[in-house]
Parts: sequence; C-alpha cells; structure tokens
Amino acid sequence: MHIPDGFLSTPVWATLDVVSAPAVAWVARRAQRDTQDHRIPLLGVMGAFVFAAQMVNFPVGPGTSGHLVGGALLTVVLGPAAASLVLTAILVLQALIFQDGGVLALGANVFNMALAGVAAAYLSYRLWGQASRSGAIFAAGALSVMTSACLALGQLLISGVPMTGGVFWASLGLFVVSALMEGAITVGAVRAIERLNPAWVAGPQPASSRTVAGVALAALLLVVLGTLIASVAPDGIQRLTGQGVDSTSWPQRTMGGLAGIAMIFALCYLGGKLKSRRRSA
Amino acid sequence: MHHLVIDRWSRGSSSLHQRDPRAKLAALLVFLIVLSTTRPAAQWAFAAYAIMLIIAVHSARLPILGLAGRAALVLPFSATFALLTWWSGDTLRALALAEKSFLSGMAALLLVATTPLTGWTAALESWRAPRMLILVIQFVYRYLFVIAEQAQRMRWAAVCRGSHKTGGFRLATGLVGVLFARSWQRADGIYHAMLARGFRGRFVPAAPAPFRAADALFFSACLAGCLAVRILL
Repeated sequence: MHIPDGFLSTPVWATLDVVSAPAVAWVARRAQRDTQDHRIPLLGVMGAFVFAAQMVNFPVGPGTSGHLVGGALLTVVLGPAAASLVLTAILVLQALIFQDGGVLALGANVFNMALAGVAAAYLSYRLWGQASRSGAIFAAGALSVMTSACLALGQLLISGVPMTGGVFWASLGLFVVSALMEGAITVGAVRAIERLNPAWVAGPQPASSRTVAGVALAALLLVVLGTLIASVAPDGIQRLTGQGVDSTSWPQRTMGGLAGIAMIFALCYLGGKLKSRRRSA
Repeated sequence: MHHLVIDRWSRGSSSLHQRDPRAKLAALLVFLIVLSTTRPAAQWAFAAYAIMLIIAVHSARLPILGLAGRAALVLPFSATFALLTWWSGDTLRALALAEKSFLSGMAALLLVATTPLTGWTAALESWRAPRMLILVIQFVYRYLFVIAEQAQRMRWAAVCRGSHKTGGFRLATGLVGVLFARSWQRADGIYHAMLARGFRGRFVPAAPAPFRAADALFFSACLAGCLAVRILL
C-alpha cells in the first residue's frame, strides 16, 4: 500500500522523512560494507526482477489471485541491508516515475516497507529459520506485509483520514488475506529458486542470539499494534489524565514524547549497566 | 513497453528542460510542501497551483493531457478515501484530498518529464544521498523494462503451452524461479561486461553543469509564486 501525497498530515510525513533519511544512509553504509563489487549490478537487477515478478499472477484459492510483493524474498536472498536498499530504490522510482506513492510521503513509504517490513521479515527468518525453514519463510512474508500495511493504515488514521469502523475492519481483513498470500508465494518462490541452484539462497544465520531476535520482533509487532491502537483511540491519554492535551501545539507534544523516550532509554541503559556490572563482579 | 514515454519527454530542449536538475528538484519540494500545508478551505489556492503547473507544462512543450492522464493513476486510491470523507460530511476536505494527490503527482511527473534520470540522480547525489542508493536506482531503472519484457515473454510462452488449463500455483512459482535465475545470470554478465570496459568500483560522472543565474532565477520565481499563493489565497 503506497501512500500518495496529500493524505498524511504535515507532522506525520515530516517526522517519518526525518526518521527515514538517516536510516537509509545507515542501511546504505551497511550494504556497501557487505557488498563486493560484483554484487552492485546484482542489487539493481534484483530490484528490476521484483518489479517484473509482481506481474506474475498467482492463483490462490478459487477465483482469487495475488502477486508477489517481494520484500521477504529479497531479505532471504540478499540479506536485510541490501534488501532494504533495493526496496528504497524501487520506492523512489515508483514515487517519481510511476505515480505510485508520494514524494513527501516517501519517508513514510520507505519506513513502512523498506525498513519495518524488511526488519519483520529478517527477524522472523532469523528467529524460526533453524526450527522450520519453510515456516520461517512463510512467517517472514506474512509478517512483512502485515507490518507495512498496518503501519500505513495507522499513519493514515493518525493524519485524520476519516474511516468508519466497517471500513477499518474490512481493510484489516484484507491485510490478513494478502499477508497469508505473500507468505505462501514467498515459500513457493524460494523453493523454486532453490531447486535451480541452492547456493542462491543464504541459509538462516546460526541462532546465537535467538532471544535478541525474539525480543526485537516482539518489540516491532508491539509498535505496529500500538500505532494502530493509538490511531483508533487517540484520546486515551486525555482520558487517563482527565484534561485536554490537544490544547498544546504539536511541537510541544512531540517534544514531550521525545523526552519520554529519552527517559525510558536512560532507565534501560542504567539497568543494563547495573546488570552487566553485577554479572562481571 | 519498450521505451517509457517519459524518457522521450525528458529529452526535450525547452527552457524548462535546460534548467539545472538541482533547481527543479528544490522547486518541486517547495511546491509539494506548500501544497501539502494548504488548508482545505482555500479552494482558490488549488486553482492557482493548477494554473502554475499548466503554465510550466506549456512552457516545457509537453502534452498536457498525456501528463494529466498519467497523474490520474493516483485517483482510484484517493477517490476511494475522498468518497469516505465525503460520506462523513466533510465535502471541502474530500475535494482537497483528491486535488492534493493529483496536483502532487502532476508536479512530480513534470520533474521527471523535463529531467533525464541521470540528471535528477546527479542532483540527489550532490545533496549527499548515499552513492550506493543512487547506483541501485540507476541499475533498477536500466533493467526494469528488460526484465519485465522477459517476464511477459515467459508468460506468453506458458499460455501457448496451455497454462490456462493446467497452470496453477506451482507453475507461477516456477515462472518466478526461472525469472530469478535468468536475472541472476544477467547480473553476472553485466558485471563482466563492466569489468571489460574498465569498471573499477565506481562510475565517473560527467562534469556537472554549473548552476547558472537562470537556474537561481527559476527557483526564486517558483518559491515566490508558491509562497504568494499560499499566503494570499
């Protein structure tokens, strides 16, 4: 789901542009570090491949068909940093040349699909890859689509695009269906690729830090869920404090939120320090 | 499908085509930001933005209907939400939603229809966009139609062999797998061709054209026009 320009409110698109720009720079640096010269054309051609593979229709059940979205497939084949970079390149081209997604909304679309979507795919592949490979790839495809779609829906709702309850639940149902389709298609495509040459698909990394991957995936899904809940019931905090928060302007609220995050980060950091000191003592 | 019509448009020679890509990209961002922050009630402002775009398209000697048709690709999505907004009783907002998304698409299209891909990617690179991202964008664009055509041929071949009767999920995954394999081999071939032509890990761009007074004037005019409409109307 590509968000066009004109849908997101200024604070939403501006924040996501500011968040996505350095994140893409970081991803590009990582991809550059991991990539040998001969992989540079490969990344580009894989982007073109995803574009083309989206044209192939998959029959899924009677009368319905879907197509590959490709985020999870790229993650499994190229690794997370390169997959993120390729998806970002695709989104830039779609926004400018194919009128699919807006230019100011590019930060939001990159965040939803190239960053959060790839993160969900990578973490699920890493978490469950050792236990059941096909299951992990299915989860990677399904969760990446679900994450991107729910984030986009949340951003639209936070921006004040009106939506009745019926439409909201209908779109959630649609997301679940397309997420399951993406999972099935990704598993099928990876199997077909492996039949041709098993070396093309990297195996899941050794599960040295499964807890970290599990916690990170849980955190990501919590953020997605939180975004949805916050967008449906934005007055929750007001109800808690019993006073209107809306009287303050959005920079003030943003600063308040950032200060809160900084405080939580400081607490976690201190906790970690104490724990590691106790362990080394 | 061979050559995107935008490619042909972008090789024009009007004064708008000759402006520096950096000036055009900056003007696009100003236009989009001003458009995005316009209140729904200011309907005259939207008309003024549309007139500004029409003047620009005319001075670039591009077909206005062709551009509008391509920009209209966004309308199915925005019309759905505009209808929802209209039902919830906010007519002005519904109108603004459709207008904003259409005008934004039109403005972005105007940039790529007057600037070749190498132009706007060079502008992005001069603004410190990661080089790796620029490289990938250029490669994706270069091979997009090559691989899409291959996919199309494979689909026809499958249909000719009776895929519509027997084909199913397995056939589609097989198609994607073979397409993947061919893309991978093509990438190998491309790399070796690049090495044979002296590639040493980076592309040497042509010396960038200097930023002229006319470019600065063009950007200032766009900035002044957008701000005037935004504040006055």
